[in-house]
Amino acid sequence: MPAERTTSSSVLAERVIAESVILLALLGWWALARQLPEFILPGPGSVFRRLVDMLITPEFLWHLFTSAWRVLVSITAAVLIGGGLAFLAHGVPWLETVVEDRIKPVLNSFPSIGWAILAAIWFNPGDFSVIFVEVAILIPFCLINISEGLRNIDRELMEMGRSFTRHRVRILWRITLPLLVPYALSAIRIAYGIAWKIALVAELLGAPSGVGYVMLRAQTAADSTTFLATCFAIVLVFAVGERLMIVPLERRFARR
Amino acid sequence: MTETGIALAHAERGRGLAARRLATHLFTLLFLAAWQIASLVAPSYLLPGPVPTAQRLWVFLTSARDLGHLGASLYHVALAIAISFAIGSLFAIIPYYLPVLRLAIERRIGPFLNSFSAIGWTLLAIMWFGVTPLTVIFAISAVLVPFALVNMSAGLANLDRETMEMAGSFTRHRWRMFALVIVPSLYPFIFATLRIMFGVSWKVTLTAELFGGNSGLGYMINLARQEFDTTTIFAAIILIIAFVHCMDRYVLDPLQANVSRHYAS
Repeated sequence: MPAERTTSSSVLAERVIAESVILLALLGWWALARQLPEFILPGPGSVFRRLVDMLITPEFLWHLFTSAWRVLVSITAAVLIGGGLAFLAHGVPWLETVVEDRIKPVLNSFPSIGWAILAAIWFNPGDFSVIFVEVAILIPFCLINISEGLRNIDRELMEMGRSFTRHRVRILWRITLPLLVPYALSAIRIAYGIAWKIALVAELLGAPSGVGYVMLRAQTAADSTTFLATCFAIVLVFAVGERLMIVPLERRFARR
Repeated sequence: MTETGIALAHAERGRGLAARRLATHLFTLLFLAAWQIASLVAPSYLLPGPVPTAQRLWVFLTSARDLGHLGASLYHVALAIAISFAIGSLFAIIPYYLPVLRLAIERRIGPFLNSFSAIGWTLLAIMWFGVTPLTVIFAISAVLVPFALVNMSAGLANLDRETMEMAGSFTRHRWRMFALVIVPSLYPFIFATLRIMFGVSWKVTLTAELFGGNSGLGYMINLARQEFDTTTIFAAIILIIAFVHCMDRYVLDPLQANVSRHYAS
């Protein structure tokens, strides 16, 4: 890093500026909102009040919980399926090109709204439809990361493992999987971000529940306050989830 | 290290190449056959067969109106990438020259932009700008900015100190250092960034067009959806997959390889 933080006063200045940027943004928002009608841009005060209101209503919490639950299930499924495909390509030589040249590029370039629409046509609205779409969107990210990890496995370590045991499951459990952990973690991190940001589209078309549905309902009713409050609730849940899940996971596994 | 990895992969690939290629084509054929059989069982609004889809694809490629939608999507993507790349890079460069702002940008603005959902931007843009190309471009740009910010910051953090010191001993002119040393050593990162943005933009563009656009493939898919014209949806999806994959494989890949070969340290 080119910028060196040496003195404590510069650290303090950084801190002050960082917080004042937020303050300025809020102030700018407030000033802008005063000029504009409520349905275009509500002020920060009313959005905050609505956010607090919503966070204590059981209905909204239930929607939030539904979305979070779907995201978690989808990430787990996507890591398992993507990892499985990567292992298939790695372990069965003649399947390598099938995965690399057919499955990966198609899944990777498949538009997310395409999955959402297909799921809306194929399945009844509900949990399964949403999870199907989210998993389909997340698989390529997991597949790419985990197959990158498999490709970078140290050959010497594998050889050493084989000189100790002929047991394949044991090698897998003791050497391959631990070496894959950093790649799987980055896959989970990316998938987590994409799930909250992009895969929510699944809930716009395929579900009568979840925050995506709440957002669409608020938008159709031109209820900007609820809409913005929902957006901030997502930001909040995203950050909390990252703190509570992703960061501890990384701390537990990445550093050894 | 990467060099040896590539060389090994090539050597390995030499052996069962023909068998693997056969397996790949067999897989494609099997997939098409399965699709055909499934389409015979399912009604056509649920799953159109490969033949009608191919016919629709051909109509698509010869119709000026349909190609116009493809062009509109391309225009949205290109403009959004340009805008968000400029904004994201600017945000990345500011803390490099003004370190006091680092915390503000990397810990406050960055994470916020990064966790704001794409759907949120899209629906917000519809409320603000209505159903126009501006909505689509705004939504895509807003989603892409954090990607540019994160990647370009990583590039700036990885600048070689020794090279910078050398440049500093040649000139005190900041602008010259920027144009002749910093930007060229960022080329690999710039390309990686553009590539990621290209990939992500296609995931978002259609969504934005579907909800807030009056042109583009997403708009077309929306019309087709309302008419239960699943064949058109399939054709559009296949066209996008083919286009994105070909761009990635035959344009961006060689370009990036070229750039990294020249500028990699």
